[in-house]
Amino acid sequence: MSDPVSTFQASILQHAKYSLGKEWGDLSGEDRFAAVALAVRDLFMDRMLETEGRYRQNDPKRLYYLSIEFLMGQSLGNNLVNLGMRDLCSQALRNLGSDIEEIEASEPDAALGNGGLGRLAACYLDSLATLGMPGYGYGINYEYGLFKQEIDDGYQREKPDNWLAQSSPWQIVRGDEACMVPVYGRVEHSVDRKGGYNPMWMDWKVLVGIPYDMPIVGYDGRTVNYLRLYSARSSHDFDMGIFNDGDYIKAVSQKISSETISMVLYPSDAVVAGHELRLVQEYFLVACAVRDIVRRFEQNHADFHEFPSKVAIQLNDTHPSLTVAELMRILVDEKEVEWEDAWTITQATLGYTNHTLLPEALERWPIPLFEYVLPRHLEIIREINRRFMDKVAATYPGDTGKLTRMSLFEETAPPQIRMANLAIVGSHSVNGVAKIHTELVETSLVPDFYRLWPERFNNKTNGITQRRWLLKANPALAGLITGAIGDGWITDLDRLRELEPRAADAGFQAEFRGIKRANKEKLAKVIRELTGVKANPDSQFDVQIKRIHAYKRQLLNVLHIIHKYLSLTEDGHEPVSPRTYVFAGKAAPGYWVAKQIIKLIHNVGSVVNSDKRANGWMKVVFIPDYRVSLAEQIIPAADLSEQISTAGKEASGTGNMKFALNGALTIGTLDGANIEIREEVGAENIFIFGLKADEVRSMREQRAYRPGKVCDEDARVRRVTDIFKTNLFSPREPDLFAWIYKTLLDENDEYVHLADLPAYLDTQDTAGKAFGDPAAWSRMAILNVARIGKFSSDRAVREYARDIWDLKSV
Amino acid sequence: MEIAVEKTGDVAVVEIPVEELDASNAGELKRDIAPVIEANKKVVLDLSRLRFVDSSGLGALLSCLRQLTGRGGDLRLSGMSKPVRALFELVRMHRIFDIYPTKEEAIKAFTG
Repeated sequence: MSDPVSTFQASILQHAKYSLGKEWGDLSGEDRFAAVALAVRDLFMDRMLETEGRYRQNDPKRLYYLSIEFLMGQSLGNNLVNLGMRDLCSQALRNLGSDIEEIEASEPDAALGNGGLGRLAACYLDSLATLGMPGYGYGINYEYGLFKQEIDDGYQREKPDNWLAQSSPWQIVRGDEACMVPVYGRVEHSVDRKGGYNPMWMDWKVLVGIPYDMPIVGYDGRTVNYLRLYSARSSHDFDMGIFNDGDYIKAVSQKISSETISMVLYPSDAVVAGHELRLVQEYFLVACAVRDIVRRFEQNHADFHEFPSKVAIQLNDTHPSLTVAELMRILVDEKEVEWEDAWTITQATLGYTNHTLLPEALERWPIPLFEYVLPRHLEIIREINRRFMDKVAATYPGDTGKLTRMSLFEETAPPQIRMANLAIVGSHSVNGVAKIHTELVETSLVPDFYRLWPERFNNKTNGITQRRWLLKANPALAGLITGAIGDGWITDLDRLRELEPRAADAGFQAEFRGIKRANKEKLAKVIRELTGVKANPDSQFDVQIKRIHAYKRQLLNVLHIIHKYLSLTEDGHEPVSPRTYVFAGKAAPGYWVAKQIIKLIHNVGSVVNSDKRANGWMKVVFIPDYRVSLAEQIIPAADLSEQISTAGKEASGTGNMKFALNGALTIGTLDGANIEIREEVGAENIFIFGLKADEVRSMREQRAYRPGKVCDEDARVRRVTDIFKTNLFSPREPDLFAWIYKTLLDENDEYVHLADLPAYLDTQDTAGKAFGDPAAWSRMAILNVARIGKFSSDRAVREYARDIWDLKSV
Repeated sequence: MEIAVEKTGDVAVVEIPVEELDASNAGELKRDIAPVIEANKKVVLDLSRLRFVDSSGLGALLSCLRQLTGRGGDLRLSGMSKPVRALFELVRMHRIFDIYPTKEEAIKAFTG
């Protein structure tokens, strides 16, 4: 038993027996996954310790990526791929009579995020480790991740996702590094022993943050960083005072309320203002993270003026922007650093990434709530604002408008704190996540700040890790590419350019198509199992998978489907190629419109899929419970990638990159990173349509949107919209979708669906015709793969490291 | 709470006899230490057994300090563990109290 396979096999059996207390043959699927995961964990624990030793020896600057969400998905397959051990593990499991894919599928997704923002954070951790950079994620160890989506008669139903029910084999609890977090209370204004002003935080309650580390294995396993997730615990198992008073139930419920802090991920990516629990969650993350960062700094350093040369903190959106106040509080209150120096240190340490232009998603906290939860932090923010307002007033004398717009406080009733303004004022860098998004941040979202500090603003176009999204998710295509150009692309995605000469190679195209066909067969099987619909792998797989949101315009996609259905059934126009329309995505539980769209997709699907006239030409499927592991199955099988948001609304998108990397062509608007994808792959290899962001804006400003006119001028549009006056798609629930007619014809439709519909229908025809020429389509698809190198998260992380963090590989 | 008082000259040294000073026993401490504070002007509270203190516990210590200074006396703290020191710093109470590593140093600060 000395060869690597046998050794690994023995380790799995050892964990089955001694960690799980059962023989291999008696383990459930989930337990088998746990045994394998523990055996894999053993393999990289040494590397993790070696990595920390290397860092300690070199004392490099470290990066801390603070994010309220980390959408990690499954880790086993990814860790095996990055360790180069998947074949070995597969063989060991075969020897044990198990299938690696089944074991991998048994791992629950760590769904600690809603969508793009959280997945971006996960991709960046992969790149940091692969690049050998000392970078760590800091987040919350939610006991319940994003809800599980079930579909009942076309309606979304939410079910809790208790992903930690069996505890994660990847997590290492660090009880010795727990930290105390005070919250609530009041500030007492007193004087210290020297007679100086000394505001004291009194009558607080204390939470305890317990860190759980999730190792992040870089490609080739040389560097193993970690994601540190905090669970909230009460300071005592019970508040003994209450217990002694005999109120046992109250004692227990107080414990529960402390632990509630890390119990559940907020499911909505929209409005959370006013939710005390959310504010406490954000503060809990920030307080634990900053305390831990300061603790690590103090192990080797005493002078806080060195802090920015050893620490970079990136705020992933405004959720962790309390870091500005918390770092100031620690420096001024605890470390006795002078305010001016503390402010210089704070700004030099922090960077802020903006993720949204949607005004409703910009965080604001009502001051009464904020004061109740964080009285001392409010004082600090007031002082930051007082000094900042002085500066603005001195720079722009007499310009009260600027003071009003730039203030950290909004004079509403009740007044609110603008968290984006706090993050901007407290950071040395503010970045958007795609070129157009950064331009819009500068010109539309916060133009006053851009004029004051143009040097702070910069763009960092998002990226994705090719290790998960190609090497792991699409091993056959990864193998074809490696066979053609070697494996350099795994750590240098620009190398994919070397595929360009093969794009027109008939033999290569045939292999490429064969792989796509096999991926589509696999997905068709999944679709059959999950929805009962039989999808034809030879049809064009037209895919829109993402959060369900009005601005992402799943409705526009459905309008096209209805158009094709009516063309086929009423006009007898057969499409060039059959098509399978694939949707997946979750709607925020309180978002009625999004939930209606899910119902609409199902109802359209049931009409189309059961109509014999459409049989063979069209299928519409909604795959339930969208999550990372499902995306890994869907994306490699896609032909056409739907990226059709209203221009100016999508910050970047990263799904668009994942699809192109897997050889799907994009149909999309000039929004987010689509613009840069077009620049890279060439306008001839992407299907772009619709209004540009400035056109949408000026149409809105001039109140020039006339959906009725679009209907009058385009019979296709008229027919599609009129269908919502009938009950064709809601025979059992009359008028269910009547609201859609009103929305589409509303001149105030924020998402200007009908303005883009004619161009979308035309462009869809072009995409359909193009698919009818397999050689031409394959050439375009291969060129998409070859030219997508820019969108690696390795590139993005290198740019952050160079321009913002001053972070080096160690 | 059983409070042991040790006198060194005119300095009363009181050892806080618990590991956790919180809402469950802060009132008891205040009550039981009151006679010591009334009878002495120079008091050292030795916290070397203490591992956790919550805001009620800190409130009790603050009350001792204020009573003493109100009567022209003073209070010194000694033997603070790292986590307790961290909590003092967190809420800026380390600037209110005179804190010494050991009770001997605290006594010396009174007498020297």
